[in-house]
Amino acid sequence: MTVSRRNFLKAGIAASTASMAGLTLTPAALSAAQETEKEWQWDKGVCRFCGTGCGLMLATRNGRVVAQKGDVENSVNRGWQCVKGYFNAKIMYGQDRLTQPLMRMKDGKFHKEGNFIAVSWEQAFDEMERQFRRAYAEKGPEGVACFGSGQWTVQEGYAMNKLFKAGFRANMVDPNARNCMASAVAGFYSTFGTDEPAGNYMDIEHTDTMVLWGANMAEMHTVLWARVMNRRLANPNVRVVNLSTFRNMSSDGADLEIIFKPNSDLAILNYLAREVIARDAVNWDFVNKHTIFATGPYDIGYGLRADPEGKWTFPEEADVVAKELKVALDKHEAIGQRRQEGEVVEQNSRGNPGAHWSISFEDYKKALEPYTLEFVAEVAKGDDSESIEEFKRKLRELADLFVDQQRKVVSFWTMGINQHTRGTWANEQIYAVHLLLGKQSQPGNGAFSLTGQPSACGTAREVGTFAHRLPADRVIPNPAHRQYTEEQWKVPAKTISPKVGSFYAKIMRDLQDGSVKWAWVQVNNPWHTHPNANHWIAAARKSDNFIVVSEAYPGISAKVADLILPVAMIFEKYGAYGNAERRTQHWREMVPPPGNAKGDLWQVLEFSKRFTVGDFWGEQTVPGLKAAGYEDNKLPSVLADAEAMGYKPTDSLYKVLFATPDNMQYKWPDPVAKGGGNHTSEALGDGWFVEKALWQEYVPFGRGIGKDLADYDVYLRDDVRGLRWPVVDGKEGTWRFNEEYDPYVTKGAGFEFYGKLLKAIPSGDLDKVTNPEPVGLPGKAKIFFRPYSAPVEQPDENYNLWFSTGRVLEHWHSGTMTRRVPELHRSVPAAVLWIHPDDARERGLQRNDLVWLESRRGKVQIRVETGGRNTMPKGTVYAPFFDEGVFINKVCIDSACPISKESDYKKCAVKVYKA
Amino acid sequence: MNLSGIVVICQPPKLSAVSKALSELPGVEVHFEDRDQGKIIVVQEALSIAAEMNGLRRIKALPGVVLADMMYHYFEDDPEILEGLTKSRGKQPMGESDVIPPLPIR
Ligand code: SF4
Repeated sequence: MTVSRRNFLKAGIAASTASMAGLTLTPAALSAAQETEKEWQWDKGVCRFCGTGCGLMLATRNGRVVAQKGDVENSVNRGWQCVKGYFNAKIMYGQDRLTQPLMRMKDGKFHKEGNFIAVSWEQAFDEMERQFRRAYAEKGPEGVACFGSGQWTVQEGYAMNKLFKAGFRANMVDPNARNCMASAVAGFYSTFGTDEPAGNYMDIEHTDTMVLWGANMAEMHTVLWARVMNRRLANPNVRVVNLSTFRNMSSDGADLEIIFKPNSDLAILNYLAREVIARDAVNWDFVNKHTIFATGPYDIGYGLRADPEGKWTFPEEADVVAKELKVALDKHEAIGQRRQEGEVVEQNSRGNPGAHWSISFEDYKKALEPYTLEFVAEVAKGDDSESIEEFKRKLRELADLFVDQQRKVVSFWTMGINQHTRGTWANEQIYAVHLLLGKQSQPGNGAFSLTGQPSACGTAREVGTFAHRLPADRVIPNPAHRQYTEEQWKVPAKTISPKVGSFYAKIMRDLQDGSVKWAWVQVNNPWHTHPNANHWIAAARKSDNFIVVSEAYPGISAKVADLILPVAMIFEKYGAYGNAERRTQHWREMVPPPGNAKGDLWQVLEFSKRFTVGDFWGEQTVPGLKAAGYEDNKLPSVLADAEAMGYKPTDSLYKVLFATPDNMQYKWPDPVAKGGGNHTSEALGDGWFVEKALWQEYVPFGRGIGKDLADYDVYLRDDVRGLRWPVVDGKEGTWRFNEEYDPYVTKGAGFEFYGKLLKAIPSGDLDKVTNPEPVGLPGKAKIFFRPYSAPVEQPDENYNLWFSTGRVLEHWHSGTMTRRVPELHRSVPAAVLWIHPDDARERGLQRNDLVWLESRRGKVQIRVETGGRNTMPKGTVYAPFFDEGVFINKVCIDSACPISKESDYKKCAVKVYKA
Repeated sequence: MNLSGIVVICQPPKLSAVSKALSELPGVEVHFEDRDQGKIIVVQEALSIAAEMNGLRRIKALPGVVLADMMYHYFEDDPEILEGLTKSRGKQPMGESDVIPPLPIR
């Protein structure tokens, strides 16, 4: 490049950056910016990584992305991006990008033990179909499954959901979002009766108190954190509290840091609730009008696979797995649950852990009574080097901030609360504190559950790509919800199975015991990211399983696969994501996918062409199916109804589910494309605009019930940077459940928690239901009492340290994408184990020593770090999970919240010794 | 070559000192300053991408800097991307794949 060209570029980039940052420029500088950018085609996009959902502007030239800047027009990030966001474009250009289907072959045929050979799409789909038919014939609808994703675009998730639930008649789709925010969903359902937060990101600028519950926002939601820090710098009255099990980067920006022991957040939240009552700070007007009190059983197990015969358990882990059925209460649990220490409790409510009933305020108050400052400080203090008096002072200060009538308070959380053996409870407890104070659903006041993935909300939750969900807060067990969905989808009544499918961990277990024999993975990396991985890798490699992995780069799951399908990535396809503040953002295909790679959506649709309704809509055997109006273990034939609707048994699923007459009306090309390409529509070749048609098919689900989305073209407009739902009369949503802001609230109500799920419950006392008659509570939220519960596995003499895992700033999840960007890779090349210097010394270890990190389940080699960005308290170690060379999930326990089925990655017991 | 547009935020009274320190860093050019807002706009040129990241880290570590982040990134001629492009844009040859290393099982 010539010097003059370089200077020209620099001047333009400088001027453009300056105007993004809000500097006033001379006309000459402004025209420099415009000149530079003239050769490029700019379009809006959204970050592919975290749930913050930052807006980006991408520049393309000659079929590839050449420059990227933060989008100043986007209210989420106002031009800012974090280090991951900055590499959205580069992740598409890694050297080992997969561009051709690869299948395990021997002697020219598929072979489970063969090597990966490049094959055509035709060959790939032929084998995939053959294996699918074999599994379905042998095991029925529930013999096949899909590991989906919170990184699916809305349309991708919608299509796969429909293919499985209406086409294959199997609710066997579950997203990796299960391991990310299922506890948040369960908490929303039980507390409010509808999913997703009431607030939005403007809360940051409205509040003066922000409390982080086990959420290291500085590394994980970096741009939101920048907004938090801006707010704090601009207003001396603002206070930020960081609650965590170790000191992390967010502590640097916090006024108060509270280091607590694993699971003791449950106790701290009860202390706060107790304190609100003791200090007479309950907002009685709000509580009486808008809430009731509730509780549920404590004996709900730990989400492990109950295995009394030891069939599925390593001998080393048997002692912990045994607790799934029976546990002896420790001292703190006994106090917190009003029982005797050592009492053995059979976990009898494992079958229905989410059951709950209303209680009186007197009972609620009585249940909180044990959670005094003394008791909670003893349970919770997480740093040996801190005095108990100092810790108590901090807890009191936290309570002061919450109850202060002058203060607005926002609580933020993600994985620390959600990935928790009592994750649903912890979510409910945070709401309880906010509801007691009436600090909810107002600008600057509210409990705000953040998400980890870019479309955990938009796709996994709103589209309902879970084993128990249907679009827009509908659920499989509800006959009216199934019926509505069948009508929308124009499929016969009783096509959708009334039986909830397998959740993510259960699909792993199904592969292990042979009840599932065919699985398709899209936009996630299950064998890298699911805990206790040694079991699942062995299960997947069993000789009669067939695993299909759609991937861009060869991660661990691709290696586990029998067939790898190369995918189009983010800006190589049309798509939409929904972020943590309910903002839906669409983008166009900007560059073509490389080689023979094709989007996940094309793959779903193309595969659907291989089957007819006659293949699935006859009678099917489904072991365990039991529902009103159904013969046990049977799905009825719906072929007669189908014929009455005008379908023939030979009609393909593609035609019946996707390329329907309604959808074919959306023609490709379309003016919103501004002349650009769409490889999905072009490869299908039958002239419809797939992403637009599926969007338009999907939006009626949410309309009129508080989840309204706008029409497709609105999101593609140049002046729109996504819209928060509900979009009513062309206006985007702000604060839900608040009359001043939410058109769905009845006039005069003030507040109304109008969600409809789980809104008729029995009543009882603290221990049991006393009146089974369900009573409706329209418009009300529930304030739950949930007790302290000890972690199922705790350090002992052998495994003598706590272990926790999570992300680092520079890498995304399992690193399959970010590790392709050399600079991200180099800045944090390998995962390290953060350990307290004393713990290192006691084990004869120094910084950079190679050690074994070992649990009951597996071990990995890793290097020791005693400094850097995290400071561990004595007794706790931390390592991130992005690095497949340090396969952390071999070590992690697969315990989970029994209500939400979300795994707990944040606590297990390990030992560390020199390698 | 990578070019990045970086916004540096500092306390307004320290702007001159920070600006001077920035201009002394290799590959960094100061283009605009806003004294009232305490903002400085620099363009950083770096040959390798690692150098670019280290450069940003150096900027963040300067005394007086409150916040520094890239807002703009240009990488049309990035050699690593060009190599990635030539390797991956075409169809992979039919035949045994060399991109799938073995599984890390214990
Ligand atoms: S904060 Fe999240 S959404 Fe924003 S740029 Fe970073 S990774 Fe992307």
